Amino acid sequence: MSKPRNFALMLILPLGLLYVSLFVGRFPVAPQQVAHILYAQLVPTAPDWPRSIETIVLQIRLPRALLAMLVGAGLSISGAAYQGMFRNPLVSTDILGVTAASGFGAAVALLLSFGAVKLQLVAFAFGLAGVALTYALARVYRTTPVLMLVLSGVVVAAFFSALLSGAKYLADPESKLPAITYWLLGSLNSASMRSLAMAAPPIIVGSAGLLLARWKLNILAMGDEEARALGVRTEWLKGMVIVCTTLITAAAVSVCGIVGWVGLVIPHVGRMLVGPDHRHLLPATLSIGATYLLFIDDIARSVSATEIPLGILTAVVGAPFFAYLLRRTGGTWY
Amino acid sequence: MNRLRRLLSAACLAAAACLAVAATAQPSDPRAAPTRQITDAAGRVVTLPATVNRVADAWHANNSTVLMLGGASKLVATTVQARKQPWLQRLYPRIESLPAAFNAAGEVNVETLIGARPDVILMAYDGSLPKWFDTISPYPIAVVLMPNTSLEDLATTARLTGQVLGERESRVAADYVRYFEGNIHRVRQITDRLAPSERPKVLHTSSAGILTADGLDTLIDDWIHVAGGVNAAQVKGNGRPVSLEQIIAWNPDVIIVGSAPNQQSRAAILADPRWSGIKAVRTGKVYANPSGAYLWDRHGAESALQVLWAAKLLHPQDFADLDVRRETKLFYSRFFHYTLTDAELRSIMNATAP
Repeated sequence: MSKPRNFALMLILPLGLLYVSLFVGRFPVAPQQVAHILYAQLVPTAPDWPRSIETIVLQIRLPRALLAMLVGAGLSISGAAYQGMFRNPLVSTDILGVTAASGFGAAVALLLSFGAVKLQLVAFAFGLAGVALTYALARVYRTTPVLMLVLSGVVVAAFFSALLSGAKYLADPESKLPAITYWLLGSLNSASMRSLAMAAPPIIVGSAGLLLARWKLNILAMGDEEARALGVRTEWLKGMVIVCTTLITAAAVSVCGIVGWVGLVIPHVGRMLVGPDHRHLLPATLSIGATYLLFIDDIARSVSATEIPLGILTAVVGAPFFAYLLRRTGGTWY
Repeated sequence: MNRLRRLLSAACLAAAACLAVAATAQPSDPRAAPTRQITDAAGRVVTLPATVNRVADAWHANNSTVLMLGGASKLVATTVQARKQPWLQRLYPRIESLPAAFNAAGEVNVETLIGARPDVILMAYDGSLPKWFDTISPYPIAVVLMPNTSLEDLATTARLTGQVLGERESRVAADYVRYFEGNIHRVRQITDRLAPSERPKVLHTSSAGILTADGLDTLIDDWIHVAGGVNAAQVKGNGRPVSLEQIIAWNPDVIIVGSAPNQQSRAAILADPRWSGIKAVRTGKVYANPSGAYLWDRHGAESALQVLWAAKLLHPQDFADLDVRRETKLFYSRFFHYTLTDAELRSIMNATAP
């Protein structure tokens, strides 16, 4: 495949699926109705469709689809950056404990019956705090060796997972416990324009930061010492990657719970398509991740009257795919 | 060194001997005491002491039933959640001091349970044995399983609970079942005559966190039907996660929000523009479900009141003579021996803590 064609495809695919997502769902809406409604947002026209359809397209499906794309793109680019930085293909965005910490924050918010906005804020704050804790633990002699980071991440994740179990233990089994359980399985069920507006800035800022640093990631992926020898301020760069990734992941978890596999699998798909060079890999993962999670969420909300948790679908689709990749490449990743 | 080793082994032997003696002496021989047998919901024939004095209730909702039947003094262990139910604490302050041997995840703390020395454990049965069933099987504690999947099951559960507790409690249970079935009958006399088109579509949703709907083949579906409605949620089972778009597609005439904080969730639904197209929201028919000793809409003793409340809510004209507030006061004084003040009545009807 030629490069421009690749590039065009990576732009068209997510946008095309976005349009499809606006007319697919439990409530029947015709594709041309979606076109009319979108058109009417740009050029005021007299509506010839029921208000309920406009609500569904613009207030329910649009924010949800955009969030799915943002979260998918964000988790994927974060995963790719981490896999490069940690020089390990099995690393995922939750390696430094952000997911467990955010999850615990959300569980606490659910226990205390906070509203959607407060829940999102609390989960986000806990995610940041969790990674800050990991970073502080990993710091030795003004450096943060990868091994220390990983082990500190394990410690912090274990700690917050235990607290999370504690929160579940205390939860009311008729209402709070199922809410926490479903929430942890991941869902974009509560997506709204407001949650989109809250989650978008950290995800966009984080992704932009990673994109800016993408060529330096190539050097970092050679290892700290080599990178330092080449004149890269590794500590500074690592800190920046961690901050960006944490912003993205904490925002993602705070808005839709724990969505596994995306941050692990999509970077590998990206490598298969564009190679391991981070300059091409990171933009590619944005597009693939957005398309993948949007596709998964369309299934989650459309297939049955009850929602299927994202965490289940991403893994059900992701795990066999990952197994296939493992077999096919035989472990020759880079 | 040698002497030390000998001393140690002697100590070990002594300890083992003590344990052996304790083990043989511990279980009070149940064959000696008079027993009786009852058949539980799983069809098991359970042997109980002739007089049951110590009961552990592993089923959150059933704690209110035990209290109502007059078995409060016999309750020796409960669940983490029952202990935290604000209205249950008010009606029955001792609940907070009982050991919580069971948790929300359906697990048991065996030592707490054994320490409470119950004769029998009460538990819900939906077709599968409780998680802790095998864990406690080595101990001489009877387990009585009670049905929990339909509205009718609650009458059976009240009767079984009464039977386990004793004769006096059985009489109260019979009285309660008469009242419970009387209420259902009273409501059905009117609602059974309704044409399908006269039955409003009712969505029962739980608040907090994630959007869920209570679907078919549930106790909730049962009382919606008895009260003269039809369940809007065409899915099976309790608390199924659904998308808002699916709810818009169902377009319920009435929305009932269960589980705390339902007032808060009700306000959130009414304020959210995304819900505004739904008929129930347009017509202002979004309600918070009352909650007392247990959630009225689930498996507690107050299900008897739930059918009245829901019927009046769905068909105010047909039930013009039915005063739910008065009935509620009567119920609490008759079955919980508690006189509700007007403020307390409001707290129950609004599902807020007392």
